Amino acid sequence: MRKQRGVRFRLIQGFLGVLAVLMLLPMLQTFLYSFSSISEMKSYMGTRGSFDESRWMDPHLIPNMFSLGQYHQILITDNTVLRLFVNSAMYAAMILAGQAIIIPAMAFGLSRFHFPGRNAAFFGIILLMLLPFQVTMVPNVLTLRSLGLTDTIWAVVLPMWFAPFYIFLIRQFMVGLPNELIEAAEMDGAGTFSVYLRVILPVCRPILGAAAALSFAESWNLVEQPLTYLTTRGDLQPLSTMFNQLVKEKTGFEFAGAALYILPALFVYLFFQEDILSGLQLTELK
Amino acid sequence: MYTKKRLVLPFLLPGLIGILLFYVVPFFGGIWYSMTDGSFENAFVGFQNYSNVWQNPMFQLGLKNTMELSLICAPGLFLLSFALSVLLNRIRPAGTFFRSSVLLPYLMPSSAVLIIWLLWFDFGGPVNRLVTLFGGGRVLWLQGMELRYPVILLFLWKNLGFCVVIFLAALQAIPDALYEYATLEGASFTRQAFSITLPLIVPSAFLVFILCWVNAFRIFKEVYFIGGAYPDEPLYTLQNYMNNMYGKLNYQNVTTAAYSFALIVFALFGVLFYLQNRAQQGLS
Repeated sequence: MRKQRGVRFRLIQGFLGVLAVLMLLPMLQTFLYSFSSISEMKSYMGTRGSFDESRWMDPHLIPNMFSLGQYHQILITDNTVLRLFVNSAMYAAMILAGQAIIIPAMAFGLSRFHFPGRNAAFFGIILLMLLPFQVTMVPNVLTLRSLGLTDTIWAVVLPMWFAPFYIFLIRQFMVGLPNELIEAAEMDGAGTFSVYLRVILPVCRPILGAAAALSFAESWNLVEQPLTYLTTRGDLQPLSTMFNQLVKEKTGFEFAGAALYILPALFVYLFFQEDILSGLQLTELK
Repeated sequence: MYTKKRLVLPFLLPGLIGILLFYVVPFFGGIWYSMTDGSFENAFVGFQNYSNVWQNPMFQLGLKNTMELSLICAPGLFLLSFALSVLLNRIRPAGTFFRSSVLLPYLMPSSAVLIIWLLWFDFGGPVNRLVTLFGGGRVLWLQGMELRYPVILLFLWKNLGFCVVIFLAALQAIPDALYEYATLEGASFTRQAFSITLPLIVPSAFLVFILCWVNAFRIFKEVYFIGGAYPDEPLYTLQNYMNNMYGKLNYQNVTTAAYSFALIVFALFGVLFYLQNRAQQGLS
């Protein structure tokens, strides 16, 4: 259906363009502000929360003077943000490493094998996927406690290794793969494991990339788990639970902190962008 | 498709053990927990906890707010993302910039974006400038009932792209030839939308709808960042109640509230699954 690019097309394009810029604005503003000096940001943030009808906050768009002061503060002078950042990175890395081993294998087992109870298992995973975190929170704490894991990083990391949503996502993709793919490999004498490693995983690249990016986003934004499993360990908290503390203290370097916090997510996104856009194709439940 | 059963074990076993240990056992263990009194003997009290919690005003407030917020967020997110992906599908292939920029927020950590949000919705901030530009009076966005708007907007901003991408994939999978044929036959745009587009994307749309609800029930994250553990009344969600009860070591109340909520969630999804089955049979 080749349409003439008429007025209507331009209108839609213009509207979507404006919306796209609005969507990106928070990140853009964060990066711009992060290059202001600390004192500038302190006084700017200080004008917040005034209920005087006659006063406005400055329409502050770009820094008055380019400065790396905020970055110097968080990277060199004071290591609070950096330490939390390292914690966050550690959680994300450990969660993703475990998931990479467990989740695709499980999805493979659930999608390419016939065994009794297969549909029941898949149905169970869908149900678990729908459950809010709090439903299993207390019993989970008890399980973790009896394993001696509460207030350790494993309390946050281990349950995430088996996150049902990603099993579901990858399984949906694997179900759609043609049988010929496997049969051809078997003709060449490949065993189950080498089919999985050499045929299935490479073909699933888009969905694996998409799942990795989404899982990273989740691990980078953990809130409930550290709050409940690490109650006595302030030193193990990630950036996600501590960052608003930093904002409340009006330190003047919150924007460099936010920029530093956003940056890895941005890189992950740029790296996996193609995979996400082509891999996330949820079709019907089979 | 493999049929040799023992070969599946090495693939499934590690995952299954973990799921049993961290999801299934806690799920059933929690049911037992919600029916005991939490004392040293941990006596069985049946549904006593449930009737206690259901009569608790804070639980009722949290449930009411969670349901209200989800009822705004989930359908809102669904309709908005559908409309956007239809528009986007019409201008392809020009929409790559938009597609990328709409998905980016999904990967952004909410707490980092929070500062900007607080600035925008400040009493003297840009949003109020816009409001006065259009002739309205300034609004106290950051307290009371009005605080819901920034929270809902943050939620939509963050989750929009994910739904748009899934919708778009479904829309793009529809062969153009179908539309060409329909146009030749003289079918109008609306007729095409209802007879071609809709039936073909029902399965994907249904999954998007479910995911909208799953995410809407998790709006606590945004609430927690903006309002803290004890936000103003219009934002006090069920998760706030559960987390605060947890903080007070009242595990019975947490699990009881949690299972009451789970019951509602499952009932809702059950109805949705049923409706989707009906709809698909009706369409085919």
